[in-house]
Amino acid sequence: MTMSEEKKSVTRREFIGKSVKVAGFAVGLGGAMGLTVSRFLNNATGRKLGSVVNTSDHDLRELSAVDPALIQYREAGKITTSAQHLHAIAVDPEDRVYLAADKSIQVFSMDGVHLSELRLNDTPRCLTVTGNGIAYVGMRDHVEIYSPRGLQKASWGGLGQNAVLTSIAVSENDVFVADAGNRVVLRYDASGKLARRIGERDESRDIPGFSVPSPYFDLAVSPDGLLRVANPGQHRVEAYTFDGDLELSWGNPSMGIAGFCGCCNPVNFAMLPDGKFVTCEKGLPRVKVYNAEGGLESVVAGSEAFAKNAKVCALGGGPFGCRTGGMDVAVDSSGSVLVMDPVEKVVRIFERIEDA
Amino acid sequence: MPEEKSRVTRRDFIRSGIRGTCLLGLGGSMGLLLNRIQGNDTVWQIDPEKCIACEKCMDHCVLEVSAVKCFHKFAMCGYCKLCTGYFEPQPNALDTGAENQVCPTGAIKRGFVEHPYYEYIIDESLCVGCGKCVKGCTAFGNGSLFLQVRHDRCLNCNECAIAVVCPAGAFKRVPADRPYLLKGGEADRSMGL
Repeated sequence: MTMSEEKKSVTRREFIGKSVKVAGFAVGLGGAMGLTVSRFLNNATGRKLGSVVNTSDHDLRELSAVDPALIQYREAGKITTSAQHLHAIAVDPEDRVYLAADKSIQVFSMDGVHLSELRLNDTPRCLTVTGNGIAYVGMRDHVEIYSPRGLQKASWGGLGQNAVLTSIAVSENDVFVADAGNRVVLRYDASGKLARRIGERDESRDIPGFSVPSPYFDLAVSPDGLLRVANPGQHRVEAYTFDGDLELSWGNPSMGIAGFCGCCNPVNFAMLPDGKFVTCEKGLPRVKVYNAEGGLESVVAGSEAFAKNAKVCALGGGPFGCRTGGMDVAVDSSGSVLVMDPVEKVVRIFERIEDA
Repeated sequence: MPEEKSRVTRRDFIRSGIRGTCLLGLGGSMGLLLNRIQGNDTVWQIDPEKCIACEKCMDHCVLEVSAVKCFHKFAMCGYCKLCTGYFEPQPNALDTGAENQVCPTGAIKRGFVEHPYYEYIIDESLCVGCGKCVKGCTAFGNGSLFLQVRHDRCLNCNECAIAVVCPAGAFKRVPADRPYLLKGGEADRSMGL
């Protein structure tokens, strides 16, 4: 045996000793790393996974209850769409359903058959369709007009970066546009010339001004020749002449079924053929019918019918919360109520129960 | 003789064991040091999109009065006359009477701006982080009120007592140079809000 061979030889005790050293170092380092990773994970989550409890649901349960005797409509149908975002609904005199969805206008029959689609360059936010099939589409800051064949007939100028158009209605000679960003109703003539600004605060005319806390600001031309405008921050529906005089208003803030709940409702409304109003609320998503004087007549559907929509407004319901859950409503020639739910991405059709 | 030298005595063996233990301690110390260094670069914060305003922030902070406070992002506020973060669900009147306020400590100051707008300012010295206002604002309004850990108070504990009990997993470590998680921003703009 040579010297070099002697040096290379390792005894059992040396082997065990070195193993203990290596193992000790490895265990120490591993333990420290484990501790670090463990702390990091604890810091990142602070809890065990799978224990999320939404405690906010309970709070609205009592407020959302509706007396079943008040519900005088039943769900009769549903229109589904593959669109990612629904913005507005309109029904033409032929009872075709128009949806402003994504960057298009989609047309459906009442039984849910997709009839046609008009592709747009930007996102439509509101629309109305006249008896001769002309579609008036409100984009964020301007109005586009399309022929029944889908050809663009006109585009009325930009209203500035603060403009957020949320509703559009047409009378015989005028077009009315609700601008939530500037809190004003704009009256155009048929050629697109701005004729009047309606609803701006004016103490000399006893006009209180519109309060629009969130991007919901609806209007409609009613059969009595007045312009009806929702004033959501005041929980009212107001009636104006086409010249901008405030004639009357109705509506009260209340969590109760007869009033408009929360900070800013109704978000949208439509007018039935007999002059009654169908209103939509957010927060407590409910659809109700009021008579022409503002008295509650019946409930189309309460919060229970819009469970998914209600969750959007609950804590943890999404990044945009109540600002994106507002339902839109339209009515057809027979008085059926079409509710567009942007959360479920469907249109639900409600018919009045005959013996209600 | 060479064979005897290569043998390890009991004393050598113990010495080696002590060395190993020292290395173990060194490894552990380095780990702890690393942990502490990392901890100093991050702070605790609440993700407002996950927070469910369960009121645990108010009770579980090691401070006598929680470091969690309500934050008001004015750019998102609707300046509502009837603020559901300020008023009880069914207030007797829309005034500053204590019986009408949802905040148990009166930490929200309501001020008239111009008809019909009102501003709501949080008095942080009174806010206890209960989140009652957050619930109301989110349920009906724009969600401009939300809870945040205020870093002029937070002790930045290694194991935050609130994070441990948070049922929504809303507590997380964020970089110390960006210590707040605010709502809104680019996502809102993309939605046209």
